[in-house]
Amino acid sequence: MDLSKRKNFYYIFSLAIVLIISGRLVQLQLINPEKFDKDALRNSVKTIITSPARGLIYDRNGTLLVDNKPSYSVTIVKKEFDTNNIPVVCTMLGIEPDYLRDELKKIKGTNRFLPTRIQRDVDFKVISFIEENREILSGVDYTVDPIRLYPTDFRASHIIGYTKEISESMLNKQQGDYYKQGDLIGTTGLESGYENYLRGEKGFEFILQDNKGREVGPLNDGKNDVKALSGYDLILSIDANVQKYAEKLLEGRTGGIVAMDPTNGEIICMVSKPDYDLNYFSGKLKPEIWTMLNTDKNKPLFNRATMTKYPPGSTYKMVSALASLQEGILKPNSTIPCEGSFRFGDRVFGDHGAYGSITIPTAIEHSSNVFFYKLVLRIGLDNWNKYGQILGFGNKTGIDIPEETKGLLPSTEYYNKRYGPNGWTEGFVVSLGIGQGELGVSPLQMAVYTSILANSGTFLQPHLVRSLKNPLTGEITPIQFKRHEVPINKEYFKTIQKGMYLVVNGNGTARSIRTSDITIAGKTGTAQNPHGQDHSWFIAYAPADDPKIAICVMVENAGFGATVAAPIAQRIILRYLLGLQDESEVQDSFGER
Amino acid sequence: MQVKLFDRFNLVVFISAFGLITFGLVAIYSATYGNELVSGNFTKQLISACIGIFVVLGIMFTPSKYLAMSSYIFYGLVILMLIAVLVIGKKIKGQTSWFSVGGFGIQPSEFAKVAVVLALASFLSNKNNETDVTRVRDFLYAVGICLMPVALIMLQPDMGTTLVFLFLLLPVLYWAGMPNYILFFIVAPVITAVCAFLGTWYFVASVIFVIAMMLVLKKNILISAIIVCIAIGAGLSVNMVYNKLQPYQQKRIQSMFNPESDPLGAGYNVIQSKIAIGSGGFTGKGFLQGTQTQLKYIPEQWTDFIFCMVGEEFGFIGSISVVLLFLILIWQTIRIAYICKNQFLSICCIGFATIFSFHILINLGMIMGIMPVIGIPLPFMSYGVSFLLSNLIMLGIILNAYRNRKEYT
Repeated sequence: MDLSKRKNFYYIFSLAIVLIISGRLVQLQLINPEKFDKDALRNSVKTIITSPARGLIYDRNGTLLVDNKPSYSVTIVKKEFDTNNIPVVCTMLGIEPDYLRDELKKIKGTNRFLPTRIQRDVDFKVISFIEENREILSGVDYTVDPIRLYPTDFRASHIIGYTKEISESMLNKQQGDYYKQGDLIGTTGLESGYENYLRGEKGFEFILQDNKGREVGPLNDGKNDVKALSGYDLILSIDANVQKYAEKLLEGRTGGIVAMDPTNGEIICMVSKPDYDLNYFSGKLKPEIWTMLNTDKNKPLFNRATMTKYPPGSTYKMVSALASLQEGILKPNSTIPCEGSFRFGDRVFGDHGAYGSITIPTAIEHSSNVFFYKLVLRIGLDNWNKYGQILGFGNKTGIDIPEETKGLLPSTEYYNKRYGPNGWTEGFVVSLGIGQGELGVSPLQMAVYTSILANSGTFLQPHLVRSLKNPLTGEITPIQFKRHEVPINKEYFKTIQKGMYLVVNGNGTARSIRTSDITIAGKTGTAQNPHGQDHSWFIAYAPADDPKIAICVMVENAGFGATVAAPIAQRIILRYLLGLQDESEVQDSFGER
Repeated sequence: MQVKLFDRFNLVVFISAFGLITFGLVAIYSATYGNELVSGNFTKQLISACIGIFVVLGIMFTPSKYLAMSSYIFYGLVILMLIAVLVIGKKIKGQTSWFSVGGFGIQPSEFAKVAVVLALASFLSNKNNETDVTRVRDFLYAVGICLMPVALIMLQPDMGTTLVFLFLLLPVLYWAGMPNYILFFIVAPVITAVCAFLGTWYFVASVIFVIAMMLVLKKNILISAIIVCIAIGAGLSVNMVYNKLQPYQQKRIQSMFNPESDPLGAGYNVIQSKIAIGSGGFTGKGFLQGTQTQLKYIPEQWTDFIFCMVGEEFGFIGSISVVLLFLILIWQTIRIAYICKNQFLSICCIGFATIFSFHILINLGMIMGIMPVIGIPLPFMSYGVSFLLSNLIMLGIILNAYRNRKEYT
């Protein structure tokens, strides 16, 4: 091998490397040293992080629901901070020295050279104190942060959700390094579901300061600065008027309401009561309020519209009915005799009355229990489970907020696991036929199910956001959500719809809410509650011949579905479709229990 | 007698290496001055350097056949240490590259650099000439020797160090007799991929370069076509891969190539180090007088960013002296590789010259903002006992090669 030629390659390559490095040295140290010298003499480049404004939130009619307002946060650059000033800073902010020491301890790596937020939403007094004592309080500064402002008089707490300072574990888990200690991050509701759109992008300004911490001017004439970009605005499908009205109707009660458009999956209103004031989370969250919210036995932070898992009672009977039709067990005109009670083994299951031999619509109209006890045994657990899943139960619906339960949809596998293969009998299945027992659904799942019943078989992913608006260009981008046809013959829905029509407009269980203005179809339900009074369910859609709204109302411990849940649903439907109802009337009929 | 001594001892290599160590010690002293947390670093480095002299002399006087014989043992030992570090190592800043034995922190990946060169040299310098890098099997063996530690170090994960191994392989194989066209076959796709990442015109230029090189190398048309196609393919796929990455991964790559796009992350150190070096001017601000470095605007300036101290406090004169010392050391090492008749030692020297060159290119280039932000230290100068010791082992082997340059294996 001719190494004499090859060695020259190596000489040349290493020389090239050295020349590149030397050239750069000449460039930095000889050609252009003044620029760097000035920067270095001024000792330091102060970095200011400018917080972007979070995106705004509008309702479907363009009403502004969530806005921003400026507030001041106090920051500390750990590297420059003199720990002898801890008492002064603590007195200024009204915090414990130990708390401040802990916060300082958390600042690591290059973050030591950057301002870290210590206290949010401070008084203007604090800001003037910092300005007056700049020379002593080195490393202490403030920054303007936009915080949330809620200009409307309704809450929608569980829809909008809140932001909190990012926790240490979330900081460590984040992909990339966008978030720093003290940053806000959407924690619940839309603030969390759309965090990546709402948050915007931080900006940076580089400012030279002298050795006393006085600002001298921007670094490199501000060429390195990066402007903060505001987040995307959200345009919701929520109707603010209906939302406000629905919140009033449920005021003082415990429960959830979800109303959606059965043609496209848009949520019209979603209420969970009791709720909380979002203003608690704007600015700095007081620890005593956080404790209060978390210890309240009514659990105001819990989203009952999407997270509860109660048995749906008779509102679930349509699942069995559809399963029997699709599986060919019943024909639309087949009848089952209903004697008023049903003996299974040594247990007797009761009913509200004896109806004789009846068809599916009549069974739904009167909510016959015996009909569905018998039917579910003919369907069998596996098929019953299968149609539950087809209609959206036992799975998340895919709503665009993170709080959502899968619910509980028992299967053979579930019972075998829970009770052992021989530990359970078909008697368990009998209760399931009327929506009782180990079955857990959320009002949201019920609303999705109702909209499938209303639109004859299209599953629509429920969603709160219609579109995103680019704050710079004003460009509006609609968001695409999933939809699919369920594998059930469309004809069979007519049978179900006839039954639900009769519930309100025939001699059914919810005839009390019949109105001449709008034809409503619905179904009542009462969920047995071993811990207290039964939960009241009502699902409905309207107008019956061309549904524009599908709704589910669940009120905890309120007894029969027809007496409490159904009238609430009716009011919301009328309000949405006709824009009627004045608010004083609401006070009269629903102000007291 | 005088002549005889220097016939067996390469004073130039020795002095340039210890000159760099001295520069490093001064810089470490300055970098840790007044910082009580790390003030012990200077003493540790000084003691390591003193003990290091004996390590260097010890290796230098070891008969070269023992070095060759022990190279696989050393390699095996290092592999075991790399596995051990993943099991019992300490996790610092997301990397598990250390473990401690009796109070001493050991970083096996530094020794792995030496071990891979020794093992490769041993394999490629096979006495009976049964190893031939143009044979696929032997080529794959050589790649395997290199990739085994790479895989283990990737698990730590320490991407900077793994790059050293990948860049070391080709110069060593080329020295061991790999034909030009095979070298080019491997290099061409890398060139086009990097150029494609930089922009369309870079990519077009690089493809023209590859085609021109194929004409110069005069291989048959089929091989030439294959090489050109693979190079173009590599260039085209790089953007596809990039577009598939998560946004935060893309951002990390961007900030590697353009640190100023991320002034609070990777770019922070580079912005500060450029200011420090630039402000040194021609003569520097004087020992312990650097405002940037003394005010500690550069985190951990005694390791990867040690050159900032030299640049700011000793200016262009100091910096260029360091660079020239490196050039002398590397050229001498290449010269020894050429004149040394023992093929094992010759390949070792080329490997070490490559390691030194790559380290100074990446380290100094990064500090001055012309190379991606990849954390690897500056040979002989950065603080770190394992790193210094591994450098001194290389120095000992280079001196050994010079001493035994006239003997065949």
